[in-house]
Amino acid sequence: MRYEILARPAASVAKLTLDANESITCEVGAMIAMSTGISVETTSGKKGGGGGFLKGMKRMFAGENFFLNHFTATQPDQTLILGPTMLGDVVHHHLRGGTLVIQGSGWLASDTGVTIDATWQGFGKAIFSGEGLFWVKATGQGSIFLSSFGAIYEVDVNGEYVVDTGHIVAFEDTLEFKLKKAGKSLIGSFLGGEGLVCRFNGTGKLYCQSHNPPSFGKLLGPKLKPR
Amino acid sequence: MSELDFTISQRPEFAIVSVRMQPGQKIYSEPAAMASMTPSLTMKAGLKGGWKKALGRMFAGESLVVNTFSAATAPGEVTFAPGIPGDMLHYRLDNSSIYLQRGSFLAHSEGVELSAKWQGAKGFFSGEGLVLLKAHGTGDLFFNSFGAILEIDVAEEYVVDTGYIVAFEDTLDYKVVVLPGARPSKTIKNFLFGGEGFVCRFSGQGKIWIQTRYVHSLLSWVFPFRPSSSKS
Repeated sequence: MRYEILARPAASVAKLTLDANESITCEVGAMIAMSTGISVETTSGKKGGGGGFLKGMKRMFAGENFFLNHFTATQPDQTLILGPTMLGDVVHHHLRGGTLVIQGSGWLASDTGVTIDATWQGFGKAIFSGEGLFWVKATGQGSIFLSSFGAIYEVDVNGEYVVDTGHIVAFEDTLEFKLKKAGKSLIGSFLGGEGLVCRFNGTGKLYCQSHNPPSFGKLLGPKLKPR
Repeated sequence: MSELDFTISQRPEFAIVSVRMQPGQKIYSEPAAMASMTPSLTMKAGLKGGWKKALGRMFAGESLVVNTFSAATAPGEVTFAPGIPGDMLHYRLDNSSIYLQRGSFLAHSEGVELSAKWQGAKGFFSGEGLVLLKAHGTGDLFFNSFGAILEIDVAEEYVVDTGYIVAFEDTLDYKVVVLPGARPSKTIKNFLFGGEGFVCRFSGQGKIWIQTRYVHSLLSWVFPFRPSSSKS
């Protein structure tokens, strides 16, 4: 698989070139355009129908789309253009056997060498923290495409580092992490608008995004008609 | 028709176009597209092409009204900006036609006619999808997008999600279908859950311009953030 990231950094898309039998899995709705020599399969889990209903339900509760789309080239040299919902960037991460923890909306696509688990509960209570975030865990070997709201910046953590949860795109799990209040008191943290932060410790790569999707949503939501 | 003297800048995120006009020249734009202009130009709002054409434009998601900017006696400059941040392209029509997706028209010079193309079931079933305007004639045309515009040269066939089509040349044949590759038994599943319910399958030779973002995806994303209505 070859790839190109186009229209960086504000309206980025990934343009992939697949050879026959190469496959890519992405969130539903990510496909913008493609050649006709590509077949599409919609499942609730892994390609070939794995995953099953229960896993699909779990994913739905995690806030992610229940279904995944698998695109497989049936002929050589097929192009596939994938893009995220939000204005922002797309980056490629090569997974070499480790684990990458990705914020749900930051996962755009990955190839078949990568296993995506949306049932990861590493943050436990984070789901109920009001941040509206969920997380997926990617393991294996292969290509992952990450997307951000706004620009993406990489931080090579060596030691300690603190990031607001809404600004995390992904991080290598060689990093230890702990959810913390941003300020000293719980009330102070939420009044300060920082909510929960993640305190990293160790050595590893961290992808951050310049803008915070839940903050943006909370800014727009109240201006809309109630549902 | 003399070609317009113009500059498109700030691509691809915040594209705008500045047109330098000579006395006697006219340019027609979507309402509210004018960002700034020299006072030597005059603007007139009106129903260009009469009621029937205006209504057609309305059905295609564009405004009934088209603003006309003319340089009467002195030269001048006008700058147009679309309502949504994104990209913009210029296309020169030479006794030819091009199709524009709903909402992507920005401005055109004299010699270009816009008309709505009723898609029949094609447009109807594509959901928000495919409502097209046809630009025909000889002159300059400007269209815009949400996100960047990518150009695709179709040699045989290509598939584009209906929501991401900005414009395409009329040398191409098109068909709105459910995502290909889905077996009939799976069609419903893909349609209901796949997100990419409807795609446009182009065939022939010609160019397609697609946008890298889709407003409706963004809207669906914002949706859950609305306040819930309290029954009082």
